[in-house]
Amino acid sequence: MPVGERDLAPRTVDEILDWLAAGRISPGEAFGYVRRLETWSRQPAPPEPSQAPGSDEDARRQRVDAVLAELDALVGLAPVKELVRELAAFVEIQQRRAKEHLPTKPMALHMIFKGNPGTGKTTVARIVGRMLGELGALPKGHLVECERADLVGEYIGHTAQRTREHIRKALGGVLFVDEAYALARGGEKDFGKEAIDTLVKAMEDHKHELVVILAGYRDEMEYFLTVNPGLRSRFPVQIDFPDYTADELYQIARLMCEQHHYRLSPAAALRLRRVLEQRTHLLGHGNARFVRNLIERAMRRQAVRLVQRRRLSRDDLITLEAADVAAVALR
Amino acid sequence: MKRCIIIGRPNVGKTMFALQFALYLGMAEARIQFAEAGGRRWEKPYRIAAALDDLTGAEPHRTRQLQSLCLELPAGKGTQPFELVDTSGLVDGIHPDPSIRRAMAQTLAAVREAQAILHMIDAAALGEAEAVNAIGEVDYQVAQFAQMRGGYLLLANKMDLPAARVGLARLKQEFAGHPIAPVSALYRQGFDEVKAFVRRHL
Repeated sequence: MPVGERDLAPRTVDEILDWLAAGRISPGEAFGYVRRLETWSRQPAPPEPSQAPGSDEDARRQRVDAVLAELDALVGLAPVKELVRELAAFVEIQQRRAKEHLPTKPMALHMIFKGNPGTGKTTVARIVGRMLGELGALPKGHLVECERADLVGEYIGHTAQRTREHIRKALGGVLFVDEAYALARGGEKDFGKEAIDTLVKAMEDHKHELVVILAGYRDEMEYFLTVNPGLRSRFPVQIDFPDYTADELYQIARLMCEQHHYRLSPAAALRLRRVLEQRTHLLGHGNARFVRNLIERAMRRQAVRLVQRRRLSRDDLITLEAADVAAVALR
Repeated sequence: MKRCIIIGRPNVGKTMFALQFALYLGMAEARIQFAEAGGRRWEKPYRIAAALDDLTGAEPHRTRQLQSLCLELPAGKGTQPFELVDTSGLVDGIHPDPSIRRAMAQTLAAVREAQAILHMIDAAALGEAEAVNAIGEVDYQVAQFAQMRGGYLLLANKMDLPAARVGLARLKQEFAGHPIAPVSALYRQGFDEVKAFVRRHL
Protein backbone atom coordinates (compact mmCIF):
# COMPACT_ATOMS: atom_id res chain seq x y z
CA MET A 1 0.00 0.00 0.00
CA PRO A 2 1.47 3.35 -0.92
CA VAL A 3 2.33 5.45 2.02
CA GLY A 4 0.11 8.36 2.88
CA GLU A 5 -3.20 6.97 1.64
CA ARG A 6 -4.53 6.89 5.16
CA ASP A 7 -6.19 10.15 5.97
CA LEU A 8 -4.77 10.15 9.48
CA ALA A 9 -1.00 10.32 9.59
CA PRO A 10 1.01 9.96 12.79
CA ARG A 11 2.33 13.27 14.03
CA THR A 12 5.38 12.24 16.03
CA VAL A 13 8.09 9.66 15.69
CA ASP A 14 6.92 8.03 18.91
CA GLU A 15 3.48 7.68 17.41
CA ILE A 16 4.96 6.08 14.30
CA LEU A 17 6.88 3.60 16.45
CA ASP A 18 3.75 2.81 18.47
CA TRP A 19 1.75 2.22 15.33
CA LEU A 20 4.45 0.03 13.90
CA ALA A 21 4.65 -2.04 17.08
CA ALA A 22 0.87 -2.26 17.26
CA GLY A 23 0.66 -3.55 13.71
CA ARG A 24 -1.22 -0.57 12.34
CA ILE A 25 1.42 0.23 9.75
CA SER A 26 4.12 -1.79 8.05
CA PRO A 27 7.83 -1.04 8.52
CA GLY A 28 7.91 0.41 5.01
CA GLU A 29 5.12 2.82 5.80
CA ALA A 30 6.82 3.68 9.06
CA PHE A 31 10.02 4.67 7.24
CA GLY A 32 7.95 6.76 4.85
CA TYR A 33 6.26 8.59 7.71
CA VAL A 34 9.54 9.24 9.49
CA ARG A 35 11.01 10.58 6.26
CA ARG A 36 8.13 13.02 5.79
CA LEU A 37 8.24 14.09 9.39
CA GLU A 38 11.96 14.77 9.21
CA THR A 39 11.67 16.53 5.88
CA TRP A 40 9.18 18.90 7.45
CA SER A 41 11.27 19.46 10.50
CA ARG A 42 14.27 20.31 8.32
CA GLN A 43 12.35 23.07 6.61
CA PRO A 44 12.42 26.40 8.41
CA ALA A 45 10.29 25.84 11.46
CA PRO A 46 7.01 27.74 11.47
CA PRO A 47 6.80 30.36 14.21
CA GLU A 48 6.14 28.73 17.54
CA PRO A 49 2.40 28.89 18.16
CA SER A 50 3.02 29.81 21.78
CA GLN A 51 4.94 28.50 24.73
CA ALA A 52 4.25 25.03 25.94
CA PRO A 53 0.68 24.79 27.19
CA GLY A 54 1.89 24.12 30.70
CA SER A 55 3.98 27.25 31.05
CA ASP A 56 1.29 29.35 29.42
CA GLU A 57 -1.17 28.06 31.96
CA ASP A 58 1.25 28.85 34.78
CA ALA A 59 1.80 32.38 33.55
CA ARG A 60 -1.94 32.95 33.40
CA ARG A 61 -2.36 31.54 36.87
CA GLN A 62 0.27 33.92 38.16
CA ARG A 63 -1.44 36.92 36.60
CA VAL A 64 -4.80 35.90 38.05
CA ASP A 65 -3.18 35.43 41.44
CA ALA A 66 -1.60 38.87 41.15
CA VAL A 67 -5.00 40.44 40.52
CA LEU A 68 -6.53 38.55 43.42
CA ALA A 69 -3.66 39.65 45.65
CA GLU A 70 -4.52 43.22 44.76
CA LEU A 71 -8.06 42.53 45.85
CA ASP A 72 -6.85 41.10 49.13
CA ALA A 73 -4.79 44.21 49.72
CA LEU A 74 -7.97 46.25 49.99
CA VAL A 75 -8.98 47.03 53.55
CA GLY A 76 -12.09 45.31 54.86
CA LEU A 77 -14.72 44.24 52.29
CA ALA A 78 -14.53 40.61 53.47
CA PRO A 79 -17.86 39.51 51.91
CA VAL A 80 -16.99 41.23 48.63
CA LYS A 81 -13.62 39.49 48.42
CA GLU A 82 -15.22 36.15 49.08
CA LEU A 83 -17.76 36.66 46.32
CA VAL A 84 -15.16 37.76 43.78
CA ARG A 85 -13.06 34.71 44.60
CA GLU A 86 -16.11 32.51 44.13
CA LEU A 87 -16.63 34.14 40.78
CA ALA A 88 -13.04 33.56 39.70
CA ALA A 89 -13.24 29.90 40.73
CA PHE A 90 -16.56 29.48 38.94
CA VAL A 91 -15.26 30.95 35.69
CA GLU A 92 -12.19 28.75 35.81
CA ILE A 93 -14.09 25.56 36.54
CA GLN A 94 -16.56 26.30 33.75
CA GLN A 95 -13.61 26.62 31.38
CA ARG A 96 -12.09 23.37 32.60
CA ARG A 97 -15.46 21.68 32.14
CA ALA A 98 -15.67 23.04 28.63
CA LYS A 99 -12.25 21.54 27.94
CA GLU A 100 -13.56 18.13 29.03
CA HIS A 101 -16.67 18.65 26.91
CA LEU A 102 -18.90 18.70 29.96
CA PRO A 103 -22.03 20.81 29.88
CA THR A 104 -21.30 24.29 31.13
CA LYS A 105 -23.61 26.81 32.63
CA PRO A 106 -23.77 29.84 30.38
CA MET A 107 -21.93 32.50 32.26
CA ALA A 108 -23.89 35.65 32.90
CA LEU A 109 -21.45 37.79 34.80
CA HIS A 110 -23.38 41.05 34.88
CA MET A 111 -23.34 42.48 38.36
CA ILE A 112 -25.01 44.92 40.65
CA PHE A 113 -22.85 46.65 43.24
CA LYS A 114 -24.86 48.06 46.10
CA GLY A 115 -23.31 50.30 48.66
CA ASN A 116 -22.71 53.79 49.84
CA PRO A 117 -20.32 56.06 48.00
CA GLY A 118 -16.70 55.49 48.88
CA THR A 119 -17.12 51.86 49.81
CA GLY A 120 -14.87 50.55 47.04
CA LYS A 121 -17.34 49.78 44.24
CA THR A 122 -15.33 51.31 41.40
CA THR A 123 -12.07 49.91 42.72
CA VAL A 124 -13.50 46.42 42.96
CA ALA A 125 -15.14 46.76 39.52
CA ARG A 126 -11.75 47.58 38.03
CA ILE A 127 -10.17 44.55 39.70
CA VAL A 128 -13.04 42.29 38.62
CA GLY A 129 -12.60 43.47 35.02
CA ARG A 130 -8.89 42.72 35.08
CA MET A 131 -9.54 39.36 36.70
CA LEU A 132 -12.08 38.33 34.04
CA GLY A 133 -9.63 39.50 31.39
CA GLU A 134 -6.83 37.35 32.81
CA LEU A 135 -9.13 34.39 33.24
CA GLY A 136 -10.06 34.66 29.60
CA ALA A 137 -13.75 35.25 30.28
CA LEU A 138 -13.41 38.70 28.70
CA PRO A 139 -11.14 39.51 25.76
CA LYS A 140 -9.65 42.62 27.35
CA GLY A 141 -11.00 43.37 30.80
CA HIS A 142 -10.74 47.14 30.81
CA LEU A 143 -13.25 49.33 32.63
CA VAL A 144 -15.37 52.07 31.12
CA GLU A 145 -17.06 54.27 33.69
CA CYS A 146 -20.22 56.18 32.96
CA GLU A 147 -23.29 57.61 34.62
CA ARG A 148 -26.72 58.80 33.67
CA ALA A 149 -25.48 62.02 32.13
CA ASP A 150 -23.20 60.08 29.77
CA LEU A 151 -25.91 57.74 28.57
CA VAL A 152 -29.05 59.81 28.39
CA GLY A 153 -29.42 62.13 25.43
CA GLU A 154 -31.33 65.29 24.79
CA TYR A 155 -33.78 64.26 22.13
CA ILE A 156 -35.51 61.13 20.93
CA GLY A 157 -33.05 58.64 19.52
CA HIS A 158 -30.08 60.44 20.99
CA THR A 159 -30.01 58.24 24.09
CA ALA A 160 -29.69 54.94 22.23
CA GLN A 161 -26.89 56.43 20.17
CA ARG A 162 -24.96 57.70 23.19
CA THR A 163 -25.48 54.51 25.11
CA ARG A 164 -24.32 52.40 22.22
CA GLU A 165 -21.23 54.52 21.94
CA HIS A 166 -20.29 53.75 25.52
CA ILE A 167 -21.06 50.09 25.01
CA ARG A 168 -18.79 50.04 21.98
CA LYS A 169 -15.97 51.51 24.04
CA ALA A 170 -16.56 48.92 26.74
CA LEU A 171 -16.68 45.87 24.43
CA GLY A 172 -14.17 43.29 25.59
CA GLY A 173 -14.30 44.71 29.08
CA VAL A 174 -16.59 46.07 31.76
CA LEU A 175 -19.15 48.86 31.46
CA PHE A 176 -19.53 50.37 34.90
CA VAL A 177 -22.67 52.46 35.31
CA ASP A 178 -22.38 54.54 38.47
CA GLU A 179 -25.52 55.75 40.20
CA ALA A 180 -27.42 53.48 37.83
CA TYR A 181 -30.72 54.01 39.71
CA ALA A 182 -30.76 57.49 38.24
CA LEU A 183 -31.71 55.92 34.92
CA ALA A 184 -35.13 55.13 36.36
CA ARG A 185 -35.57 58.44 38.04
CA GLY A 186 -37.67 60.27 35.45
CA GLY A 187 -40.47 57.76 35.31
CA GLU A 188 -42.05 56.14 32.28
CA LYS A 189 -41.46 58.98 29.79
CA ASP A 190 -37.83 59.52 30.72
CA PHE A 191 -35.02 58.75 28.29
CA GLY A 192 -33.38 56.75 31.08
CA LYS A 193 -35.69 53.91 30.15
CA GLU A 194 -34.32 53.95 26.63
CA ALA A 195 -30.78 53.73 27.99
CA ILE A 196 -31.72 50.68 30.05
CA ASP A 197 -33.34 49.00 27.04
CA THR A 198 -30.28 49.65 24.91
CA LEU A 199 -28.06 48.25 27.65
CA VAL A 200 -30.13 45.11 28.02
CA LYS A 201 -30.06 44.53 24.27
CA ALA A 202 -26.29 44.97 24.17
CA MET A 203 -25.92 42.50 27.04
CA GLU A 204 -27.71 39.92 24.91
CA ASP A 205 -25.90 40.76 21.67
CA HIS A 206 -22.42 40.81 23.16
CA LYS A 207 -22.84 38.07 25.73
CA HIS A 208 -19.22 36.98 25.59
CA GLU A 209 -17.47 40.31 25.32
CA LEU A 210 -19.25 42.60 27.72
CA VAL A 211 -19.92 42.62 31.42
CA VAL A 212 -22.20 45.34 32.73
CA ILE A 213 -21.93 46.45 36.34
CA LEU A 214 -24.65 48.69 37.73
CA ALA A 215 -23.67 50.47 40.89
CA GLY A 216 -25.42 52.71 43.36
CA TYR A 217 -26.81 53.25 46.86
CA ARG A 218 -28.33 50.16 48.33
CA ASP A 219 -31.86 51.45 48.79
CA GLU A 220 -32.02 53.26 45.49
CA MET A 221 -30.73 50.21 43.62
CA GLU A 222 -33.35 48.05 45.32
CA TYR A 223 -36.01 50.48 44.18
CA PHE A 224 -34.49 50.54 40.71
CA LEU A 225 -34.76 46.75 40.46
CA THR A 226 -38.34 46.81 41.67
CA VAL A 227 -39.26 49.28 38.98
CA ASN A 228 -37.47 47.22 36.31
CA PRO A 229 -38.27 43.68 37.40
CA GLY A 230 -36.73 42.19 34.25
CA LEU A 231 -33.31 43.40 35.31
CA ARG A 232 -32.93 41.34 38.45
CA SER A 233 -32.64 38.06 36.53
CA ARG A 234 -30.19 39.57 34.06
CA PHE A 235 -27.83 40.55 36.84
CA PRO A 236 -27.25 37.32 38.69
CA VAL A 237 -24.34 38.64 40.71
CA GLN A 238 -25.31 41.13 43.38
CA ILE A 239 -22.65 42.33 45.73
CA ASP A 240 -23.30 44.35 48.85
CA PHE A 241 -20.55 46.72 49.82
CA PRO A 242 -20.68 47.14 53.57
CA ASP A 243 -19.76 50.46 55.14
CA TYR A 244 -16.29 50.77 56.53
CA THR A 245 -15.95 50.75 60.27
CA ALA A 246 -13.90 53.48 61.93
CA ASP A 247 -11.10 50.93 62.36
CA GLU A 248 -11.04 50.09 58.68
CA LEU A 249 -11.08 53.75 57.74
CA TYR A 250 -8.09 54.27 59.98
CA GLN A 251 -6.26 51.41 58.25
CA ILE A 252 -7.10 52.96 54.90
CA ALA A 253 -5.66 56.25 56.09
CA ARG A 254 -2.47 54.51 57.22
CA LEU A 255 -2.18 52.79 53.86
CA MET A 256 -2.66 56.02 51.96
CA CYS A 257 0.03 57.72 54.01
CA GLU A 258 2.38 54.82 53.39
CA GLN A 259 1.76 54.90 49.66
CA HIS A 260 2.62 58.58 49.53
CA HIS A 261 5.58 58.19 51.88
CA TYR A 262 4.07 60.10 54.75
CA ARG A 263 3.90 59.08 58.37
CA LEU A 264 1.41 60.02 61.04
CA SER A 265 2.93 61.23 64.25
CA PRO A 266 1.49 59.44 67.29
CA ALA A 267 -0.55 62.47 68.20
CA ALA A 268 -1.85 62.81 64.64
CA ALA A 269 -2.81 59.16 64.58
CA LEU A 270 -4.74 59.56 67.79
CA ARG A 271 -6.56 62.60 66.52
CA LEU A 272 -7.32 60.95 63.19
CA ARG A 273 -8.89 58.01 64.97
CA ARG A 274 -11.08 60.31 67.01
CA VAL A 275 -12.19 62.24 63.94
CA LEU A 276 -13.09 59.06 62.08
CA GLU A 277 -15.02 57.68 65.02
CA GLN A 278 -16.95 60.89 65.39
CA ARG A 279 -17.73 61.00 61.71
CA THR A 280 -18.91 57.37 61.40
CA HIS A 281 -20.97 57.80 64.52
CA LEU A 282 -22.50 60.95 63.18
CA LEU A 283 -23.35 59.76 59.68
CA GLY A 284 -23.94 56.10 60.46
CA HIS A 285 -21.46 55.08 57.80
CA GLY A 286 -17.88 55.54 56.86
CA ASN A 287 -16.47 56.43 53.53
CA ALA A 288 -13.06 55.92 52.04
CA ARG A 289 -13.36 58.98 49.88
CA PHE A 290 -13.74 61.10 52.99
CA VAL A 291 -10.55 59.57 54.35
CA ARG A 292 -8.71 60.32 51.15
CA ASN A 293 -9.80 63.92 51.23
CA LEU A 294 -8.81 64.09 54.88
CA ILE A 295 -5.33 62.81 54.22
CA GLU A 296 -4.80 64.92 51.13
CA ARG A 297 -5.89 67.96 53.06
CA ALA A 298 -3.52 67.06 55.84
CA MET A 299 -0.69 66.83 53.35
CA ARG A 300 -1.46 70.29 52.10
CA ARG A 301 -1.72 71.66 55.64
CA GLN A 302 1.64 70.15 56.43
CA ALA A 303 3.10 71.79 53.36
CA VAL A 304 1.82 75.19 54.45
CA ARG A 305 3.22 74.62 57.92
CA LEU A 306 6.66 73.67 56.62
CA VAL A 307 7.09 76.01 53.72
CA GLN A 308 8.11 78.95 55.96
CA ARG A 309 10.81 77.01 57.75
CA ARG A 310 14.45 77.41 56.81
CA ARG A 311 15.80 74.08 57.85
CA LEU A 312 13.86 70.90 57.18
CA SER A 313 14.92 67.39 58.07
CA ARG A 314 13.80 64.36 56.10
CA ASP A 315 11.72 63.46 59.12
CA ASP A 316 9.90 66.80 59.01
CA LEU A 317 8.97 66.24 55.41
CA ILE A 318 7.53 62.82 56.12
CA THR A 319 5.60 63.45 59.30
CA LEU A 320 2.00 64.61 59.48
CA GLU A 321 1.39 66.30 62.84
CA ALA A 322 -1.79 66.39 64.85
CA ALA A 323 -2.27 70.02 63.89
CA ASP A 324 -2.51 69.09 60.22
CA VAL A 325 -5.25 66.60 60.86
CA ALA A 326 -7.12 68.75 63.32
CA ALA A 327 -7.19 71.63 60.92
CA VAL A 328 -9.16 69.52 58.52
CA ALA A 329 -11.41 67.96 61.09
CA LEU A 330 -12.55 71.30 62.40
CA ARG A 331 -13.75 72.45 59.05
CA MET B 1 29.57 7.32 20.76
CA LYS B 2 29.12 7.30 17.00
CA ARG B 3 26.87 4.62 15.65
CA CYS B 4 26.77 2.65 12.45
CA ILE B 5 23.63 0.59 11.98
CA ILE B 6 22.95 -2.42 9.79
CA ILE B 7 19.41 -2.90 8.55
CA GLY B 8 17.73 -5.10 5.98
CA ARG B 9 15.25 -7.88 5.45
CA PRO B 10 15.47 -11.01 7.62
CA ASN B 11 18.19 -13.48 6.81
CA VAL B 12 20.20 -11.31 4.45
CA GLY B 13 23.22 -11.72 6.71
CA LYS B 14 23.27 -8.69 8.96
CA THR B 15 24.58 -10.42 12.06
CA MET B 16 27.08 -12.41 10.08
CA PHE B 17 28.34 -9.21 8.51
CA ALA B 18 28.60 -7.41 11.84
CA LEU B 19 30.66 -10.15 13.44
CA GLN B 20 32.85 -10.73 10.42
CA PHE B 21 33.45 -6.99 10.17
CA ALA B 22 34.68 -7.06 13.76
CA LEU B 23 37.12 -9.82 12.82
CA TYR B 24 38.14 -7.86 9.75
CA LEU B 25 38.97 -4.89 11.99
CA GLY B 26 41.27 -7.20 13.89
CA MET B 27 39.17 -7.81 16.98
CA ALA B 28 38.99 -11.38 18.17
CA GLU B 29 36.75 -10.37 21.03
CA ALA B 30 34.20 -7.63 21.51
CA ARG B 31 31.72 -6.44 24.09
CA ILE B 32 28.21 -6.89 22.75
CA GLN B 33 25.38 -4.88 24.26
CA PHE B 34 21.95 -6.36 23.86
CA ALA B 35 18.83 -4.22 24.08
CA GLU B 36 15.42 -5.85 23.88
CA ALA B 37 12.42 -3.94 22.61
CA GLY B 38 10.82 -4.48 26.03
CA GLY B 39 13.58 -2.43 27.65
CA ARG B 40 15.77 -5.21 29.07
CA ARG B 41 19.47 -4.58 28.45
CA TRP B 42 22.51 -6.59 29.12
CA GLU B 43 26.09 -6.76 28.03
CA LYS B 44 28.36 -9.67 27.34
CA PRO B 45 32.00 -9.94 26.24
CA TYR B 46 32.12 -12.34 23.32
CA ARG B 47 34.79 -14.07 21.37
CA ILE B 48 33.68 -13.33 17.83
CA ALA B 49 34.09 -16.92 16.77
CA ALA B 50 31.75 -18.03 19.54
CA ALA B 51 29.31 -15.27 18.70
CA LEU B 52 29.15 -16.48 15.11
CA ASP B 53 27.95 -19.82 16.40
CA ASP B 54 25.58 -18.30 18.95
CA LEU B 55 24.01 -15.44 17.10
CA THR B 56 23.74 -16.40 13.44
CA GLY B 57 21.60 -19.04 11.80
CA ALA B 58 19.72 -20.00 8.70
CA GLU B 59 16.23 -19.23 10.01
CA PRO B 60 14.82 -15.71 9.59
CA HIS B 61 14.36 -13.41 12.61
CA ARG B 62 17.24 -14.98 14.47
CA THR B 63 18.02 -11.54 15.85
CA ARG B 64 15.17 -10.09 17.88
CA GLN B 65 16.93 -7.24 19.64
CA LEU B 66 19.53 -4.59 19.02
CA GLN B 67 23.03 -6.00 19.32
CA SER B 68 25.68 -3.35 19.53
CA LEU B 69 29.27 -4.36 19.01
CA CYS B 70 31.75 -1.97 20.54
CA LEU B 71 34.44 -1.77 17.88
CA GLU B 72 37.45 0.36 17.10
CA LEU B 73 38.32 1.85 13.78
CA PRO B 74 41.94 2.71 13.09
CA ALA B 75 42.06 6.47 12.79
CA GLY B 76 45.37 8.21 12.25
CA LYS B 77 47.82 7.06 14.90
CA GLY B 78 45.15 5.84 17.28
CA THR B 79 41.73 4.29 17.07
CA GLN B 80 38.21 5.63 17.10
CA PRO B 81 35.67 3.63 19.08
CA PHE B 82 32.25 3.21 17.55
CA GLU B 83 29.19 1.02 17.87
CA LEU B 84 28.16 -1.30 15.10
CA VAL B 85 24.47 -1.91 15.69
CA ASP B 86 23.00 -5.13 14.41
CA THR B 87 19.21 -5.14 14.15
CA SER B 88 16.17 -7.31 13.75
CA GLY B 89 15.05 -7.82 10.16
CA LEU B 90 12.50 -5.58 8.49
CA VAL B 91 9.63 -7.13 6.56
CA ASP B 92 7.01 -5.89 4.15
CA GLY B 93 3.46 -5.69 5.40
CA ILE B 94 2.37 -6.20 8.96
CA HIS B 95 4.05 -9.03 10.78
CA PRO B 96 1.67 -11.21 12.84
CA ASP B 97 4.10 -11.59 15.75
CA PRO B 98 3.88 -8.58 18.10
CA SER B 99 7.35 -9.19 19.52
CA ILE B 100 8.83 -8.97 16.03
CA ARG B 101 6.80 -5.81 15.35
CA ARG B 102 8.19 -4.27 18.52
CA ALA B 103 11.69 -5.27 17.50
CA MET B 104 11.17 -3.55 14.14
CA ALA B 105 9.94 -0.40 15.84
CA GLN B 106 13.09 -0.52 17.93
CA THR B 107 15.14 -0.85 14.76
CA LEU B 108 13.48 2.21 13.26
CA ALA B 109 14.14 4.21 16.43
CA ALA B 110 17.80 3.17 16.36
CA VAL B 111 18.16 4.12 12.70
CA ARG B 112 17.27 7.68 13.59
CA GLU B 113 20.15 7.81 16.06
CA ALA B 114 22.78 6.37 13.78
CA GLN B 115 25.33 8.41 11.83
CA ALA B 116 25.86 5.76 9.18
CA ILE B 117 23.35 3.32 7.74
CA LEU B 118 24.32 0.04 6.08
CA HIS B 119 21.35 -1.34 4.18
CA MET B 120 21.90 -4.96 3.33
CA ILE B 121 20.29 -6.80 0.40
CA ASP B 122 20.60 -10.48 -0.40
CA ALA B 123 22.02 -10.21 -3.91
CA ALA B 124 21.95 -13.98 -4.40
CA ALA B 125 18.23 -14.16 -3.73
CA LEU B 126 17.67 -11.19 -5.98
CA GLY B 127 19.59 -12.91 -8.76
CA GLU B 128 17.42 -15.99 -8.80
CA ALA B 129 14.89 -16.37 -11.56
CA GLU B 130 11.82 -15.71 -9.43
CA ALA B 131 13.21 -13.19 -6.96
CA VAL B 132 10.00 -12.77 -5.01
CA ASN B 133 11.03 -11.59 -1.60
CA ALA B 134 14.51 -10.29 -2.18
CA ILE B 135 13.58 -6.64 -2.17
CA GLY B 136 10.29 -4.95 -1.42
CA GLU B 137 8.49 -1.88 -0.26
CA VAL B 138 10.46 -1.57 2.95
CA ASP B 139 13.73 -1.47 1.00
CA TYR B 140 12.53 1.30 -1.28
CA GLN B 141 11.23 3.28 1.69
CA VAL B 142 14.50 2.83 3.55
CA ALA B 143 16.41 4.02 0.50
CA GLN B 144 14.23 7.12 0.17
CA PHE B 145 14.53 7.82 3.86
CA ALA B 146 18.30 7.35 3.79
CA GLN B 147 18.76 9.54 0.73
CA MET B 148 17.44 12.45 2.74
CA ARG B 149 19.61 11.52 5.71
CA GLY B 150 22.93 10.84 4.01
CA GLY B 151 25.52 8.40 5.38
CA TYR B 152 23.89 5.57 3.50
CA LEU B 153 25.45 2.56 1.79
CA LEU B 154 23.70 -0.40 0.17
CA LEU B 155 25.45 -3.70 0.76
CA ALA B 156 24.85 -6.37 -1.86
CA ASN B 157 25.60 -9.45 0.25
CA LYS B 158 26.23 -13.09 -0.54
CA MET B 159 28.39 -12.20 -3.53
CA ASP B 160 30.11 -15.58 -3.07
CA LEU B 161 27.02 -17.31 -4.49
CA PRO B 162 26.68 -17.70 -8.29
CA ALA B 163 23.29 -15.96 -8.61
CA ALA B 164 24.56 -12.86 -6.87
CA ARG B 165 26.19 -11.43 -9.99
CA VAL B 166 22.80 -11.10 -11.68
CA GLY B 167 21.32 -9.88 -8.44
CA LEU B 168 23.88 -7.11 -8.18
CA ALA B 169 23.04 -5.96 -11.71
CA ARG B 170 19.34 -5.88 -10.83
CA LEU B 171 20.07 -4.05 -7.63
CA LYS B 172 22.02 -1.38 -9.53
CA GLN B 173 19.00 -0.92 -11.76
CA GLU B 174 16.50 -0.76 -8.95
CA PHE B 175 18.52 1.56 -6.75
CA ALA B 176 20.22 3.67 -9.36
CA GLY B 177 21.82 6.70 -7.80
CA HIS B 178 22.55 5.03 -4.47
CA PRO B 179 26.05 3.84 -3.59
CA ILE B 180 26.26 0.06 -3.63
CA ALA B 181 29.06 -2.11 -2.24
CA PRO B 182 29.15 -5.79 -3.17
CA VAL B 183 30.31 -7.89 -0.22
CA SER B 184 30.47 -11.39 1.00
CA ALA B 185 29.89 -11.36 4.74
CA LEU B 186 30.80 -14.99 5.03
CA TYR B 187 34.20 -14.60 3.40
CA ARG B 188 34.88 -11.03 4.46
CA GLN B 189 35.16 -9.80 0.91
CA GLY B 190 34.59 -6.22 -0.20
CA PHE B 191 35.05 -4.95 3.36
CA ASP B 192 37.62 -2.31 2.43
CA GLU B 193 35.00 -0.19 0.78
CA VAL B 194 32.70 -0.56 3.78
CA LYS B 195 35.44 0.46 6.17
CA ALA B 196 36.20 3.54 4.08
CA PHE B 197 32.53 4.45 4.10
CA VAL B 198 32.19 3.99 7.86
CA ARG B 199 35.27 6.08 8.47
CA ARG B 200 33.91 8.86 6.29
CA HIS B 201 30.64 9.07 8.14
CA LEU B 202 31.62 8.66 11.78
